[in-house]
Amino acid sequence: MKLFKFILLCLLLISAAQADTIYQLIKIPNLEIYNIKTENKLRYLYAKQPFTIGIDNNINCYTPSKQDLDKKYTIIEKNLNRYSKSFLKKINLKYIVLCEDLSISGIGTAGIPDNIMKTLILDIKFNEKYFERVIHHEVFHIINDTFKEIFDENTWSNFNPKEFNYAECSTCTKKIGLETYSNSNGFITEYSQSTASEDMAEVFSHLMYGSLPNKIDPILEKKIKFIKNALSKIDNDFIL
Amino acid sequence: MIKKIKASTSEKVIFIFILVLGLFTLTSFLLLKDKCLFVKNYDPQKINFENPKNIAILNVGCGNVIIELYPEISPNGVERFTTLIKSKAYDDVAFHRVIKDKLVQAGDLEFGKKGNIDYGKIGTGKSGLGQIESEVDREFNYVRGSVGLARAKKYDTEDSQFFIILQDEPLYEGEYTPIGKVIYGIEVLEKIKYLDKSEYVLRPDFINSLRLLVN
Repeated sequence: MKLFKFILLCLLLISAAQADTIYQLIKIPNLEIYNIKTENKLRYLYAKQPFTIGIDNNINCYTPSKQDLDKKYTIIEKNLNRYSKSFLKKINLKYIVLCEDLSISGIGTAGIPDNIMKTLILDIKFNEKYFERVIHHEVFHIINDTFKEIFDENTWSNFNPKEFNYAECSTCTKKIGLETYSNSNGFITEYSQSTASEDMAEVFSHLMYGSLPNKIDPILEKKIKFIKNALSKIDNDFIL
Repeated sequence: MIKKIKASTSEKVIFIFILVLGLFTLTSFLLLKDKCLFVKNYDPQKINFENPKNIAILNVGCGNVIIELYPEISPNGVERFTTLIKSKAYDDVAFHRVIKDKLVQAGDLEFGKKGNIDYGKIGTGKSGLGQIESEVDREFNYVRGSVGLARAKKYDTEDSQFFIILQDEPLYEGEYTPIGKVIYGIEVLEKIKYLDKSEYVLRPDFINSLRLLVN
């Protein structure tokens, strides 16, 4: 065993340091190009091996099967094609990382946006029922992070009844249901009640996916108007 | 009377083998010592260029690297590059970042000059002309030999540093400002000194000169 370790160490020491272009660009290891020839210039990458990132190595994601990848890519691309090249440039989104069983600090999540690295990590195995809508939800977080000043959370929170308070963070609450309410009452899903940012993302994703409740209450009406106005400030040509 | 001893056939074979081995070792040593031995050195004066105004000649240890510049793709980037070439600012500047078979990077005018290298700061130096905006909106195929301006993490931070890629890098499109492409002498760059363990080179190779073909 000692001899084996010694040989392994020797091999590591004499092997040349290989530079990984994807890692250099977005600081995520073990990725491979899936498709980069897209109209809106989004670059789709996938995990050829599991990867661990984050300050405390708290973000994990695993390699998807080729079959799953091919199937989900079609859905993801169809949805992301709705964002133009110029809009994506404005919001700072360029790389889509596809993997499965994405988690942050052990909690499963649909996506992890990072507007600084222009990257959105997507779990291709996330809840089938809401998968398409959730893609837009995650894109909204990129938009929000890039234009914090436009999506003012205090203004947004003032739309809610005075007695309502959001949770401290999106993972500090048990309100995680993604089912669209038939009777909205200011919120579009249970998850909308977690934080202001998640609430905005839920409204945006329903607008993009075209799944707004039939009956829209006055509070939700204001929230929809707020999102539309904010988006027009970013890009007048953006079509919801 | 001294008896003459005749060498046996096997002794003769061993002798010849040692002789050949010695000759082979000596020749190999001499050949390996000269890293530029099989590298062709292009003479720009003997080449007909379609647009000589856009030709730059980078002279390094093993010869000339001939670069065609693309002002129509990145006007500001090329203007900065040619401004610095005209002032001979790139002469004696180190290839401070070299990744084997991948890229060579040079152009730190502040901390990368021969005789004045600062290994602690190399790669962060400025030209004194200020930063320029990234020109990444035009389509550009980053194939082997493409020349781009290096930048910090953020866009619009290009200054004097440039890189030349030694393999195709399609992901560089939209990331880095392209300024040209090596049309002759890319093999010269494969001989630039690199380290196995680090991208940053200790005791690096230097640019001898960088000139425009037509001033």
